[in-house]
Amino acid sequence: MSNSTRRSFLRPSLVTRDRVALAGGAPAAAATPALNRRAFLQSSAGAAAGAAVIVTGPKLAAAALHGASATAPAPVITTPSGPPPAETVMAYLRNAERGEVTVMSGTRETTYLDPALAKRMLDAAR
Amino acid sequence: MSSHREAPEISKDPVADNADTYAFVSPDKPDTVTIITNYVPLQLPPGGPNFFEFGDDVLYSIHIDNDGDALPEISYQFRFQTTLRDPNTFLYNTGPISSLSDPNWNKRQFFTVTRVEGKKSKVLGAGLECPPCNIGPRSTPHYPALGAAAVHTLGSGEVVFAGQRNDPFFVDLGSIFDLGDLRPFQNLHLIPTAAAPGVDATKTLNIHTIAIQIPIRELTSNHTVPRDVMSPKSVLGIWGAASRRKMRVVDTANDERAESGPWVQVSRLGNPLFNEVLVPLGRKDRWNASQPVHDRDYAGGVSHPELGKLLPVLYPKVFPNLAALKAPRADLEAILLTGLPAGIVKGFQNNTGKVLADMLRLNVAVPPSAKPNPLGLIGGDAAGFPNGRRLADDVVTIELRAIAGVTYPLVDKTYTPDKAAGLITQGLTPSPDRYQSSFPYVGDPYDGYDTPSK
Repeated sequence: MSNSTRRSFLRPSLVTRDRVALAGGAPAAAATPALNRRAFLQSSAGAAAGAAVIVTGPKLAAAALHGASATAPAPVITTPSGPPPAETVMAYLRNAERGEVTVMSGTRETTYLDPALAKRMLDAAR
Repeated sequence: MSSHREAPEISKDPVADNADTYAFVSPDKPDTVTIITNYVPLQLPPGGPNFFEFGDDVLYSIHIDNDGDALPEISYQFRFQTTLRDPNTFLYNTGPISSLSDPNWNKRQFFTVTRVEGKKSKVLGAGLECPPCNIGPRSTPHYPALGAAAVHTLGSGEVVFAGQRNDPFFVDLGSIFDLGDLRPFQNLHLIPTAAAPGVDATKTLNIHTIAIQIPIRELTSNHTVPRDVMSPKSVLGIWGAASRRKMRVVDTANDERAESGPWVQVSRLGNPLFNEVLVPLGRKDRWNASQPVHDRDYAGGVSHPELGKLLPVLYPKVFPNLAALKAPRADLEAILLTGLPAGIVKGFQNNTGKVLADMLRLNVAVPPSAKPNPLGLIGGDAAGFPNGRRLADDVVTIELRAIAGVTYPLVDKTYTPDKAAGLITQGLTPSPDRYQSSFPYVGDPYDGYDTPSK
């Protein structure tokens, strides 16, 4: 058997399998979560603000910055509605275009629509 | 194998890598089920100075479905905490470790067991000691006693153990991933070499075991110990899983590491080799993060297994009937995704209904075998895989034979398996001292001084 034959003997089966998957309508492998689009902001519990580290795609960032700039209110420090959570609070910019910010504390996770905060996070990243 | 390094992401995170899950009616306590999940695979025994351990930042879970919906009605959760007696030494131990409370033992792990049932959560045990790793004759001179001391009986009736063991899974890893080679038959391989005995690649490797023995009445939906094999209430779906927090920050400037957010599953394992062999590379990580109840998305890899197409190519003229078999593999779907319904194997069923889900399915009404057959159900022993999974079940051989067509006549009596299909073997027989006759059943780990030096 030639080397080339040996090296390629699996190819027919692999091609067949791909066709089966496509014909059967099996969903293609979904893209892995776009972690590089996400940003995160960490602040210690109770602190007014923490250091921000933002990772986001240039196109999305630009869209968010331009889209939110016209309506973004100035930052306002509000009175806390309760005691600070006992555990570390972390947040990340889930979707810059839509202004989605996800906040985590303990095992809880809440996603807010806050284009103004999204813009400030992106501003801080520039 | 069984799922040691089976997916790209989890292969880089061994402390969260659920390598094997076992579930069987305890042979010496048949009113209980023993469930074992193994992590941190392929440990070389001389693993110092930072010997292997569980992850303090990992949530280890064992899930039980007792009503056939492929969702966990009961879960046992395990969390670990590592402590240092003296942070100012680099040593794991500063002298021989003669007991679990020995002051010579510097770096220790403790664990908490929680049972979750519906919205109720109850801590069953906390501050439970793990044994040390097996280091050598100077550090751990009486290792079996240390292992035995780490078996904890909880007030709620469960018995638990968490710590290093000899990997019970036996497999010729080096051969099987060399283009599907089986040493006893490699003279028939497309790239032939002389036939040879199998090599047990995991024989002297260690692993970290979480084992729990649970009264059967605590697991069944009607809180009884079933006696009717044909009753749906006799079947439990079981799988293991590991999760990490969604977000982690490493802030070296402030010497702070923090985690937050919900637990996100990064690994799971029900049937052996499912993700390893039946899920393609591009989907393995996603499978690990998904739940069994959604396994319909992966059923294509079961009904048309890639390995079933490869075997006739890898072993020319050996599997002509398998090569001609184009129909969906309903036999494999039944074995791996629904359990075998009544009427397929006389006097046996482990069916959980129509939901396609990768779970070990254990019919707890089947009593333990007096003489276990490592080929399990295809060897005529209904107490073995795929009815749950015992430590010494040769799941590699069983699944290879099944994929090669041995089980297809269960759903199509006109099909004749190739003669070779029933002869496939990886050629391994684990030595009896690899296992113990009582809980946790998994053998003591090899020590690093003697292994691999002897």
